[in-house]
Amino acid sequence: MKPRELISLILLNLNRRKGRVLLTAIGVVIGTAAVVVLVSLAQGLKQNASAQFGNIAEMSQISVYPDWEAQMMIEAEGGEYTSPPPITPDVVEEIGAIPLVKAAIPRTGVYAMTILKTGKLEAWANVIGIGTDDLSVLGLEMASGTYELTKGTVIIGEEVLKNFYDPNQRAEQEPLALSDLQDQHMTLELTKWSEDGSGNYIEVKKALKLRVAGIIRASRSEWDYSVYMPLNEVLEINAWVNGRRFDPKKDGYEMVTVVAEDRESVLNIASQINDMGFMAYTPQEFIQGVNSFFVVLQVIFGGVGGIALLVAAIGIANTMTMAILERTREIGLMKAVGATNQDVLSIFLGESASIGFIGGIGGVLLGLLLGELINIFGSVYMAGQNSGMMGGGSATLSVATPPWLILFALAFSTLIGLISGVYPAVQAASLVPVQALKNE
Amino acid sequence: MDYIHTEALNKHYEMGHTIVKALNGVDLSLPEKSLSVVMGPSGSGKSTLLHLLGGLDRPTSGEIYLDGSKLSQLDENDLAVFRRKTVGFVFQSFNLIQSFNALENVSFPMRFMNVPRKQRIEEALFYLEQVGIADRASHKPSELSGGEQQRVAIARALINDPTLILADEPTGNLDTASGYSIMEILAGLNRNGRTVLVVTHDPRMRQFASHIIYLLDGSIVKESVYEQAVQQVS
Ligand SMILES: Nc1ncnc2c1ncn2[C@@H]1O[C@H](COP(=O)(O)OP(=O)(O)O)[C@@H](O)[C@H]1O
Ligand SMILES: [Mg+2]
Repeated sequence: MKPRELISLILLNLNRRKGRVLLTAIGVVIGTAAVVVLVSLAQGLKQNASAQFGNIAEMSQISVYPDWEAQMMIEAEGGEYTSPPPITPDVVEEIGAIPLVKAAIPRTGVYAMTILKTGKLEAWANVIGIGTDDLSVLGLEMASGTYELTKGTVIIGEEVLKNFYDPNQRAEQEPLALSDLQDQHMTLELTKWSEDGSGNYIEVKKALKLRVAGIIRASRSEWDYSVYMPLNEVLEINAWVNGRRFDPKKDGYEMVTVVAEDRESVLNIASQINDMGFMAYTPQEFIQGVNSFFVVLQVIFGGVGGIALLVAAIGIANTMTMAILERTREIGLMKAVGATNQDVLSIFLGESASIGFIGGIGGVLLGLLLGELINIFGSVYMAGQNSGMMGGGSATLSVATPPWLILFALAFSTLIGLISGVYPAVQAASLVPVQALKNE
Repeated sequence: MDYIHTEALNKHYEMGHTIVKALNGVDLSLPEKSLSVVMGPSGSGKSTLLHLLGGLDRPTSGEIYLDGSKLSQLDENDLAVFRRKTVGFVFQSFNLIQSFNALENVSFPMRFMNVPRKQRIEEALFYLEQVGIADRASHKPSELSGGEQQRVAIARALINDPTLILADEPTGNLDTASGYSIMEILAGLNRNGRTVLVVTHDPRMRQFASHIIYLLDGSIVKESVYEQAVQQVS
């Protein structure tokens, strides 16, 4: 039989038993809908979680530190403590030469206490020296100003604005606006303690005048909370604090931020850096862990739906077996007029697969509908829950149906139909025509 | 060798301890374009003989040659093709598909032959015309009389233009008048050059027959040949 002929006959056969076919398909509808809703729910939870993970730029970054962990291990096992190899300028250069590394940017914090002052306001600030004069390489978005970091300027994270307050005023204060700081000058007050020669420590202060060149838009990343200065200026401050200049042969930077050309190469680059004897952290590693949790969740949820589909499969097998009993004479007739065993097999397999497919379509539609309802209900409910809280992250219960899931659900339900039809179809195909015709 | 030729044909059924010999050593030879009437009491093996000749079942032993082919040498697929191309069956109980109309029932065998839909409809109408019920093409079996249903079944048997028509008590469920017109249709098919075997109890069929075969307990007990009738067709 030609496929076209086969399909038309299958459709004809299904059509004349509409009621039975639909009743059987309901089982598949429920099973498929369960698979679609549950897996979509897991997918929605995953996307929600990923959204909390911070910005996308960070995904192509690697944070490199001296290998403190290895040293701690040696110490814990009774070995002698030595400091790990420092991240010297040579090391930074070596990391920068790894293929697919876009930039290796050394960073070092200020070793003094730091307070920013502008007008009557002041704020505690985490000041970081960064070894690039162009922050655009980090893939960050600016809320205002420029990416360019020159001597005498700073670029600050947007969240730093919230830290400014007037120490002489008690009442709640309005946070600063971007324009309050952009291109404005402020004072960085540094405090160190040094011995006065008689065993007493005295406070030594120093003030630097700085201009705010740009403000980094908040993106739920570490870049939101710090103040960035050119690295050399920070090294000078630290030389003042320590009373000793930075020695590029011996001294290292606190860390290096490595920017990869693309996200795919991040894990590979990180492992090369680890092999060099440094510690490389990527947010991807963490996200991978979280992702695999959600994969497990999807499999479990999918499995629950799968059980529902299995029950449906029994229904299909039952219907097809009944059909053979009811249509024994018809099978005999088909064979008498020249249908081959293969023809009969194809017809019956096609019918059961079609029941699966029809149920699959119904199930996908029902699943999408339920998903929509969950989304609507979920956002209304969560909005109620969140309204009491202050700002904060807004968690929503949401369902996300990826296109592959729809295709998978259709293919799977059809396969279930096909498999449940195998035994009845083989039975039908192997009927001896004369026996089938005698059956009254 | 004759068009239909059997040698020591046996069909035995095991029923518990006893063996039912539905056919017992049947040697039969029938020429092409003959019209044979098979008679005999109920249980004498008439249906069994027709089923074996038509390739609906296989003998326990013995050989069937039909139109030159040795049926025992055909595998399941070849046998299906043989039934499709060479044989047209007509049953006592019509065996029409209730949810199909007359036209769909008649064209049904062509679905297994890769015949385009348009041609299927044309041919089905042609054969419905031949059996005289073209005006009932869109009627379901439940809307047709017994005689009309059997005509639909005959049209279906003819659709693949077989050379052999096997009819098992085709008038058994019909009233006298419509039974007779079915006999006339079968005789007409024979006159058009088809070989026809009819199982019937109706003596009126004899007038059309070239051969009459009497079966009893699975064996041929008497065979009459009416030369004139054979000559008429050849
Ligand atoms: N499938 C079967 N199993 C057992 N016995 C059968 C079967 N088919 C036919 N028979 C027996 O074979 C004999 C011949 O049957 P059949 O050819 O139908 O006779 P007829 O058509 O002449 O009435 C009968 O005794 C019948 O009971
Ligand atoms: Mg009989």
